[in-house]
Amino acid sequence: MIWLTWRQHRAQALATLIGLGAIGVFSLITGPRIAAAFRELHTCLVVPGQDCGLLHESFDRRFNGLQFVIPLYMVVPLLMGVFLGAPLIAREVEQGTHRLAWTQSVTRGRWALTKIGLVAAFTVAATALFAWMVTIWSAPLVAASGDRFGFGVFDLRGIVPIAYALFAVALGTALGASIRKTLPAMAATLGAFAAVRVAVELLLRPRYLPSQTISYSFLQQSPRFGLGDWVLSSRVFDPTGRFVSPDGSITVSPSALAHVCPGVTRGVAFPDKDQVGRCLGQLGVRFVDTYQPGGRYWLFQGIESAIFLSAAAGLIVLAVWLIRRRIS
Amino acid sequence: MNTLALEATSLGRRYGKTWALQDCSLSLPTARVVALVGPNGAGKTTLLHLATGLLQPTSGSIHVLGERPGADPEILGRVGFVAQEMPLYRSFTVAEMLRFGGELNPTWDRSLAVDRLESLSIPFSQKVGTLSGGQRGQVSLAIALAKRPELLLLDEPLASLDPLARRDFLAALMESVAEHGVSIVLSSHLVSDLERVCDHLVVLRNGRVAVDGDIGGLVRSHRLVSGPRHTGALAGVGEVIDRTDTDRQTVALVRTVGPILDPAWTVREVDLEEIVLGYLGGREGSNAPADPTLRAVRPAPSEVGS
Repeated sequence: MIWLTWRQHRAQALATLIGLGAIGVFSLITGPRIAAAFRELHTCLVVPGQDCGLLHESFDRRFNGLQFVIPLYMVVPLLMGVFLGAPLIAREVEQGTHRLAWTQSVTRGRWALTKIGLVAAFTVAATALFAWMVTIWSAPLVAASGDRFGFGVFDLRGIVPIAYALFAVALGTALGASIRKTLPAMAATLGAFAAVRVAVELLLRPRYLPSQTISYSFLQQSPRFGLGDWVLSSRVFDPTGRFVSPDGSITVSPSALAHVCPGVTRGVAFPDKDQVGRCLGQLGVRFVDTYQPGGRYWLFQGIESAIFLSAAAGLIVLAVWLIRRRIS
Repeated sequence: MNTLALEATSLGRRYGKTWALQDCSLSLPTARVVALVGPNGAGKTTLLHLATGLLQPTSGSIHVLGERPGADPEILGRVGFVAQEMPLYRSFTVAEMLRFGGELNPTWDRSLAVDRLESLSIPFSQKVGTLSGGQRGQVSLAIALAKRPELLLLDEPLASLDPLARRDFLAALMESVAEHGVSIVLSSHLVSDLERVCDHLVVLRNGRVAVDGDIGGLVRSHRLVSGPRHTGALAGVGEVIDRTDTDRQTVALVRTVGPILDPAWTVREVDLEEIVLGYLGGREGSNAPADPTLRAVRPAPSEVGS
């Protein structure tokens, strides 16, 4: 059975390894340069009170282009589901070879578990390697931006990529076993995986634990700056607690400003930004942020992985049941 | 031997609301070559899939070699199966197909498969997908035989083969029966090909068993009678299987229970094909209208698959 599984899926395995090799080479070429540039920035950042704005800006400008890898890396689990999971059972049934395999001296339960088990193990190993490479490679970029929870950042690092890929393969296998045609199963896997990922990302992930709230003066930087929080919203309230702006920006008409802080606008067309801010701070305008604390990062990685892994387990049980009871 | 090759008791299988096989009771002895005959959709494939354990019965029960089909590796190993269209992994070479057989069967007899394919000069390094239909059939048969089954089930093995390949395939099959004493159940709608090789006949029609018996006995007990148009009873006739009435004459396939001595009737012996066609086109016949030339209901060779 092990040889048979290898022989049937060696092309996919080889393609996966070539893809991983390409990512590895890309990481080895670009990674050291990013790391060196970040070390320079870091030596500035560790000195308290030092203005590293220009250095930061040039770091961002230099490596901003690398964001092109985010969509490419995001589809890696999807590709495994579509090309490894969906054909696993569907192609056998489509070509009738399941009847050949199931009438040898191996029960179909064992046939299914060996096949699915080996492909799942390969998926875990391949995506673990992938996630490890991406995590190390992107560490300086993430440290510079301070954003570990963002779209395309949280999803590509740590342990969640492994859970996504295992889920995608299990989804493809189960859909293949119920649809029994390779191409429709691949298309269904693509659609279902994308839908589940988007739903979890947008609807569930911000709510794994109740978010926390902090309020601080318009004059200040957030007291939680640099703690790696996932800021879900940052809103501005006026002194009476009236909601002013949904996104932390605030539009103030010059006449209103002149009325409140006459000194700021007298004789100038464009009032100084800092002075305006100070004026608003004096007025008692405040930021109210809701956030998930940065310390919950691994907890959130664990919760999201658990969701996708238990879904994968359920789908594998479903696939084995379909194979044993519903296909002939 | 008291275990039967295949024993079905009130076996039924339903797909949705349609019964593909209904109230089927059969007792097939071992060491026989059984022809399972019927038109497309008669339930041949369903019966064979039930016998391999690919399908589970909706009602009744089925046992092969005294065991529940497909229940465990042991009985899986004792029953060989060649499915319709003879599926093989098309991207595998012939050698890899043999390795497949060896990996999945503890009773694998590699030399049997190798000798057989070598004698047919089938190249081992060639991809299965590029072989001719006849060669693929031989590879399928070699794999099924090399696991050394006690019972070999073949679903329409001749349908995809040209006449020459058909002859070679049957020769290979018969050779293995002679050598290893394998019991064989072979489904087909090409009766003429089976006449030489089979010794037991099962005819399925509309999901039911129309006839089941030893071919020699069936040939001995059936006669084609023709005489004046007649609706009354005829001495010696147990059952009228199929009858055709013209203005003046009645021609009928009958099962005899004794000699037919009425001088008004001519009686002649029948061959297997006439018996099969009689049962398929008979009284309850829905497949073909009774026709003076019974041969006309023979399925055309293009109607393969079910």
